[in-house]
Amino acid sequence: MAKRSSNNLDTAVLRESRSPDVKFMKSPEAAGDQGMELPDQASGYAHRTSYSVASSENTVSIPNLQFKQFEQEQSELEDDSESEAPFSLPVDSENKAKKIKFFSAAKPHMRAFHLSWFSFFACFMSSFAAAPLLPVIRDNIDLTKQDIGNAGTASVAGSVLSRLIMGALCDIVGPRYACAFLVMLTAPAVFSMASVSTAAGFLVSRFCIGFSLATFVTCQYWMSSMFSAEIVGTVNGCTAGWANLGGGAALFIMPLIYHLFQHPLACDSFVAWRLAMFVPGMVQVASGLMVLYLGQDLPDGNFRELKEKGKQVKDSWSKVIFYAITNSKTWVFALAYGYSFGIELTIDNIISQYFYDRFSLPLHTSGVVASVFGLMNIISRPFGGFLSDWSAQRLGMRGRLWTLWISQTIGGLFCFLLGRLDQLGPVIVVMVFFSIFAEAAAGATFGIIPFISRRSLGVISGTIGAGGTFGAILTQLIFFTSPAYSTETGISLMGIMIVCCTVPIMGIYFPQWGGMLWPPSKSRNATEEKYYLSEWSKEEQEKGMHLASLKFAENTRGERGRRITPSTTNACAVTYA
Amino acid sequence: MDLAILRVASFIIVVHMSSILAEGATLFSELSNSLTVSATGADNTSPNGTKAGADELFVTWALSSAAQVDDSSYKTVELKLCFGVPSQIDRPWRKTNNVLSKDKTCGFNIGSPQPYNRAGNTINWLVRKEIPFAHYFVRAYVLDSAGEKVAYGQSSNAQRTSNLFRIEAISGRHASIDIAAAVFSAFSVISLLGFFFYEKTSTRGRKA
Repeated sequence: MAKRSSNNLDTAVLRESRSPDVKFMKSPEAAGDQGMELPDQASGYAHRTSYSVASSENTVSIPNLQFKQFEQEQSELEDDSESEAPFSLPVDSENKAKKIKFFSAAKPHMRAFHLSWFSFFACFMSSFAAAPLLPVIRDNIDLTKQDIGNAGTASVAGSVLSRLIMGALCDIVGPRYACAFLVMLTAPAVFSMASVSTAAGFLVSRFCIGFSLATFVTCQYWMSSMFSAEIVGTVNGCTAGWANLGGGAALFIMPLIYHLFQHPLACDSFVAWRLAMFVPGMVQVASGLMVLYLGQDLPDGNFRELKEKGKQVKDSWSKVIFYAITNSKTWVFALAYGYSFGIELTIDNIISQYFYDRFSLPLHTSGVVASVFGLMNIISRPFGGFLSDWSAQRLGMRGRLWTLWISQTIGGLFCFLLGRLDQLGPVIVVMVFFSIFAEAAAGATFGIIPFISRRSLGVISGTIGAGGTFGAILTQLIFFTSPAYSTETGISLMGIMIVCCTVPIMGIYFPQWGGMLWPPSKSRNATEEKYYLSEWSKEEQEKGMHLASLKFAENTRGERGRRITPSTTNACAVTYA
Repeated sequence: MDLAILRVASFIIVVHMSSILAEGATLFSELSNSLTVSATGADNTSPNGTKAGADELFVTWALSSAAQVDDSSYKTVELKLCFGVPSQIDRPWRKTNNVLSKDKTCGFNIGSPQPYNRAGNTINWLVRKEIPFAHYFVRAYVLDSAGEKVAYGQSSNAQRTSNLFRIEAISGRHASIDIAAAVFSAFSVISLLGFFFYEKTSTRGRKA
């Protein structure tokens, strides 16, 4: 494999010298397009691994991204036998897929796609499996409102820590083992739920199951390793959205399983719910086994083999974390994501009981109605990402920020309305609109995150992802645990808090692209390069560590919107050679 | 002929509906406390500690001698198992509401509705397995011919704080469930570690 990549390097360099005009004219615009669909979450890790593949001979210090573009041109224009890879999808020079075929399970790309979203889906289902059965569980274990609220908080709390750790684990053992470890080691917690008999046991069980929500990180990391930059945004949005369906599916499926045990199988209600908990546990174990058996870390093989091939440009962890923490945008978006995605988790936890108690719907009907909220994810989260990209084409980064702010604020207003209504029909309609806007906001957030930083992308994405679950903890603790006010009041107050916590987005400002309320700076220093290079010190730049950021900066020119067409200079190709 | 039947039927329905709307009490405070109700365990023991699924509850109700009421409209009696105040604290899904249709105090029926008579009745009822652990009292609602509540009686005091009895619920846990959970968990962990070490040794073997 290493030999093959070096062949590609040579051919690419040859082409560059032979016919500079045709290919180079195309690539900057392609770069501009790619700039908008940049990988989110863990592409920082992915790019580090990519170095180990392609620069194993390490004769060049040029970032790999550059060759990816040439490789595309090459395979498009030439019938080169080298681009006829043994893959069923077109791939780039790192063998990352450039296209996606949803109904295929071909090795290794599409197989990894389906394994990763399904394992994340299974974890979501397990985390929210207890929620629709709460009317039965609260009688069995004699829970109070505080017990239920605390357990709901605990169910998302564990993942704050595990999401932060999981990024590092992916780097060490690869996404396949990281995912399998998480899924298989949290499955016992799901099974243990069948044996709880006290409020404390219930809380501990939900807390341990909640760790599994860190599969978000492995999912995004794995996708960034398997799919190339221009589609990784869509791929990540699809996997995250379809996996979030697990929250809705749990509310829908668990009552059905419970009733199956209760009636045809004639179990007592206090036994039936315990048996029902075995189902998400077994699905989780099955998905873990499939990941281990059928999955593969990278297109070229598994992690262990590739790590031994060569040392990549190693960055210092402390510097990466420093730049992540000191960037104020990280915290603004962590808060905002906490009030879009976090709200989604909170609603998954409380909405089934809400319909059961306030509207006196029977258990399985409450579950079905409540599940609609989570099931909207199948289109609303990818739609949010799409809307972000669409607005960026016209208005650049300012469009992305406005899209996020508008959808999240409208979601907050619908949330406020949800708590005020007391007729079932209008409540369901308002809930559907609330879910569309809140989930679209979550998708739109990950349309902006790749641009916050290049050096610390992985840590920033992890922090914002953890901020999402932190928002869930906060809202459940504040609004749904205390007996001081009813659930409907809690929902309305949560809506107001969503609107308030979205306001800081107005303060986000990129000098080269502007902010919501301010246009971009007219100073000559306000360029993409200046912004991304500000994370590298002079010494580091002398060592050439900043070159990937420089290339990235070039690709993000599209975030200026229609005002400025991407420059068609050949700077990208020749200058850094 | 059919048309006539249809007309008569719809007339009856209209009358019935209007009688429901006219007569029914919507607030608990409108009901008269006319019955005395008491609950005991087997052999006249205290009902405290009654086991769900195993023990029986003996409920006695009769017209209260103290209440001077006209019981001509009393037709059926419904017995219900209701939560006492200690079991309602911090549990808003069991809240008491004066509006009868929204009241959640009484969640379980004791036996089926029985015809009313002045001398009253005693029934014994096997406590079902889905009754949760709580402090309970028994309430009897008297319904008129239209099925509307017109009177009641309960075994506890008016504030529902004394004269309550405890029912011990089933835990729902079984040894077989616990064992199955342990087995599945062990399988999950062992298969993961097994796979991991198998791959580790096989790659090492290949390299060697």
